[in-house]
Amino acid sequence: MFMVLIFLLLILSSIAAFFVKKKSWEFSMITTLIILFLVFIYALLNFRSGYNGGIISKYSLSLVPAIGINFSSGVSSLTLALLLLTTIIMPVAVYTAKNGKYGSLFYGLMMLTEVGLFGLLISRNFIFFYIFWEAVIIPVFLLIAIYGGERRESASLKFFIYTQLGSVFLLLSILTLFAFYYNMNNVFTLNMTTLLSGTFINGTAIPTFWKYFVIFGFIFAFLVKMPSFPLHSWLPDAYGSAPYPVTVILAGGLSLMGGYGFFGILLPLSSIIPSSVSWIIIALGIISLVYFALVAMMQNNLKRMLAFASAASMGFVNISFGVGIMETGSYAIQELTGGIYQILAHGLIIALLFATLFSIKSKTGKENIHSLGGIHREVPVLSSIFLGGLLASLGLPGFAGFISEFSIVAASYAVIGPLIFLVIFGMIITASYHIWAAQRALYGPYNETLGPMNDIGRHDIMVLGSLLILIFVLGIYPNLIFGIISKYVGVFL
Amino acid sequence: MIDYEWFIFLSPIIAFPISFTVGRYRRNLAGYIATISILISFILSFIVYLQIRDTSSPVYQSFNWFGDINAGIYIDHLALVMILMVSFVSLMIHLFALYYMGKDPNKHVYFAETALFTGGMLGLSISSNLVEFFLFWELVGVCSYLLIGFWYFKPNASSAAKKAFIVTRVGDLLFLIGLSILYVSLADKVASPLSIAYIVNPSSWPQILNYVGTTNLTLIGLLFMGGAAGKSAQFPLHVWIPDAMEGPTTVSALIHAATMVTAGVYLVARVYPIYLHSTAALDFVLFIGAFTALFAGTIGMVVNDLKRILAYSTISQLGYMFAALGIGSIIGDSAISFALFHTMVHAVFKALLFLAAGAILLTMMELRDVKKMGGLWKRMPITMTLMFIGAITLAALPFTASYYSKDTIIDASWNFFSANGYSLFSFLPWLMLILGALTTTIYTFRFFFLAALGKPRSELASKAKDPSKIVLIPLIILAIIALIMGQFQYLFYDFIYAHTIHVSIPYIVSLAPSMMVLLGLLITIPLYATSGWMSLDLKKSRLYRVVKNKYYLDKLFTNDIAERGIIPLSSGFSTFEAYFSRSIEAIGSGTLRLGSFFRKLQNGIIEYYFVVLVIGISIILLIVELLGGF
Repeated sequence: MFMVLIFLLLILSSIAAFFVKKKSWEFSMITTLIILFLVFIYALLNFRSGYNGGIISKYSLSLVPAIGINFSSGVSSLTLALLLLTTIIMPVAVYTAKNGKYGSLFYGLMMLTEVGLFGLLISRNFIFFYIFWEAVIIPVFLLIAIYGGERRESASLKFFIYTQLGSVFLLLSILTLFAFYYNMNNVFTLNMTTLLSGTFINGTAIPTFWKYFVIFGFIFAFLVKMPSFPLHSWLPDAYGSAPYPVTVILAGGLSLMGGYGFFGILLPLSSIIPSSVSWIIIALGIISLVYFALVAMMQNNLKRMLAFASAASMGFVNISFGVGIMETGSYAIQELTGGIYQILAHGLIIALLFATLFSIKSKTGKENIHSLGGIHREVPVLSSIFLGGLLASLGLPGFAGFISEFSIVAASYAVIGPLIFLVIFGMIITASYHIWAAQRALYGPYNETLGPMNDIGRHDIMVLGSLLILIFVLGIYPNLIFGIISKYVGVFL
Repeated sequence: MIDYEWFIFLSPIIAFPISFTVGRYRRNLAGYIATISILISFILSFIVYLQIRDTSSPVYQSFNWFGDINAGIYIDHLALVMILMVSFVSLMIHLFALYYMGKDPNKHVYFAETALFTGGMLGLSISSNLVEFFLFWELVGVCSYLLIGFWYFKPNASSAAKKAFIVTRVGDLLFLIGLSILYVSLADKVASPLSIAYIVNPSSWPQILNYVGTTNLTLIGLLFMGGAAGKSAQFPLHVWIPDAMEGPTTVSALIHAATMVTAGVYLVARVYPIYLHSTAALDFVLFIGAFTALFAGTIGMVVNDLKRILAYSTISQLGYMFAALGIGSIIGDSAISFALFHTMVHAVFKALLFLAAGAILLTMMELRDVKKMGGLWKRMPITMTLMFIGAITLAALPFTASYYSKDTIIDASWNFFSANGYSLFSFLPWLMLILGALTTTIYTFRFFFLAALGKPRSELASKAKDPSKIVLIPLIILAIIALIMGQFQYLFYDFIYAHTIHVSIPYIVSLAPSMMVLLGLLITIPLYATSGWMSLDLKKSRLYRVVKNKYYLDKLFTNDIAERGIIPLSSGFSTFEAYFSRSIEAIGSGTLRLGSFFRKLQNGIIEYYFVVLVIGISIILLIVELLGGF
């Protein structure tokens, strides 16, 4: 109930955000912080001990009982981790939107995105899951289309069509499950727990072909969102031309949708995923990792480089899922938990990087590596935070990304064997281009054409610094979240 | 819950933010905070030493970190030697750095980072789990990266930092694969698969052999050695250290000579049971080590940059340590004693040499070419005398510490030869190590004579003078230790491994290393103690050119692999990506005309969206209908 109330508050405030004409930035800043605070309290109250891996805080409101439409919600530790990610990313994104001259429409749309993400995470009914899944796309599409930079039209369109294509398959899969459940039990239900339950999935109710159809639809939809090679072409354009606050949401928030799909919906279905499909997912993960890393290396625009870096590190999520469902026992848990942790870590790290890059951009007016150079001399704090983000992003121990990458890589050898060298190759390239970019953009002789600059102010340091510290804490003391996630994963093994 | 032993590594780590923050306002305090935190570590290490010196049971604490990975502290005699060495040498170097870095405007950053580094190194030494070990392993790597690039505005420094990071990262990730293999072999079967306490416990070995298998053990050993080679700069991953000399000299002393680069040696020693069960891995370690010892020595003979000479010397000496570890197939755990004693001796005299070099470079305004020095002994008598002590220890003149530690390793490699039936293959390590000793003597006295004797060959050299005596105190302490430490050889051996064997080889063979030193002196004295070297022209020699170009390995990595391999691959992929993206757009706008469709229907988005929804639903209902669903 508590969770639903938070959600209700979020919906109301997002509507209100459209109408708050003055001080709309302050309004959204405060609301997103309140939401974060409430979710945090909720987590402390419900997840501190005794969590057994199931779905708690269940709430259901019957709307159209005849065809099984009701609003039902629930929270698992997977959901919680991603909810925390969403609610942490939002204030950062809104904070980044401080200096732009955006109106209330902008903040309203931002809040609406959070509503969508929040909603799809807590929904336990497929129809609402789907509605919120779609509801995320529209505000982001509009944000890019209205406020974006160059090529915003084609970028937003590409984003829209791609994700829409994925959604169609998602819907088809949901409806297939729905239809076959009716076929078997003569009951209309869209309840996720029921439709994803082992007895229904593993039974004879669904013909094999349709099982594969369902699997295919889900995987396709989630791979687009991830994004995974070769369905990624919306990503660099959308990230590149979106205004920075939206990029933060895109990278930190929207990337979790694909991951949530994998671990929230496909993991319960893992018993009917044939190993050939797992291998395809693994292969796409490895290809994403290596391919995006190599492409990122040649990007001169830091924003585009980070966009590819983001896609590359989501490759780990693919690998984790594909490998994890083929394994058994304790290292399968490690593998899958690592994947979920990676979504969280990646979201935080990439959000930090984009937010910091935004500060660099607004100080220097440049986001091209060659137009920067040696800025550490003028803005040491800002450049140190950016370096911290880059180090975290390449998976350095001590930061959250290491915990997940280590879990994924360490436990993967049992399935992928020597292919691990390709993963490692990808990681070496990743390290190389991160460090190379840092060397060219931050160090070396100062590019005097940039003129004198002031370092970032106290508020910026506080926001960016606390995000960096959070990433650090999650890297040193992962059991804040890791333990409860592994319980969620344990349920399906 | 947390005992005082934790503060051995926590104390400098806590000092990191403190000295940074305080240093922002009071620059001078930063250095003192860092130094005191390391003093605390040293004192605590000493207390632990008093506590476990007579027992063989280690200090061991561990808690669950994440998943089935634990973390904690594990201090046995091996770890104890490391923490005593690291905290002591780091303390000496910090004391000297108070003077050396005294005028740098960013010295608070420097001290914060060296404190963090020391904490990382101490944490690495007492980790109870390999993942935790890996965490500190990377932490010291990052500190090394940051400190090499400390003078970030120098293009050389920032590019050297990048090179160091990437090359060691290659090794680190090989190490990670090794961890992965070990992990999946043991997870699910034992409670804590990557625990160091579990691996070093002899009673767990029947289990490990059973679960992991000898093939995988060899593989793990090789991969761990790959990681160690990256960190400890062994062939072919040694290329980063000479460049790393761009950092402040105290950093070179602390990180790239005395402590961090020994982490690889320590890793192999730490998981030595794995190697003892795989002769192939041991032989690999032996040959890499012995080869590197000679290989780096030869380059050291032709380099003119004082710090780079010392860097190649470090690589070569690390080779001796690995060689010692590699002889384990014959001498068992005694190999650890031999390697660690030399590690310790090397830390002392190399820190001494680097600090003396730091004193020289400070007065020489960072002019590092030894051919531009000369006559320094007269102008800086104390510094040069200290450097002389360092040099004779490096060259292993009789009765210096290295005479005991290094010659034992060379002697032990003769045992490898004799135990393998005097085959040619098993003769190579001894041969390479003994020739390495010759090169050591030559490059040592070459640089020392060039710097100390003759007439000053530059304006700066003629104006050089000693720093005040107070700042040289750490060097004096190190010099005294370097001179007397050898006498405690067997005490030390037995402390690490109670049953260390005494190497016995034919008397005539045991004289060989000293003969090499003599030979080396006979070559260098006439050449470099006089002005004989000025008439020496080697440029026409092809061999000289090959060595001078560092056997073209740097070229291979930088030009061939990075510039002709990775970069074209990467730009090829980017071009492909651009085409891919454009063709997707072409399909989108060309075939479907969706672009214009949208531009006409500015407000039609929701409608279109709805249409898709309806079509989607209709299709699925149709399918279901056809199947006889409803």
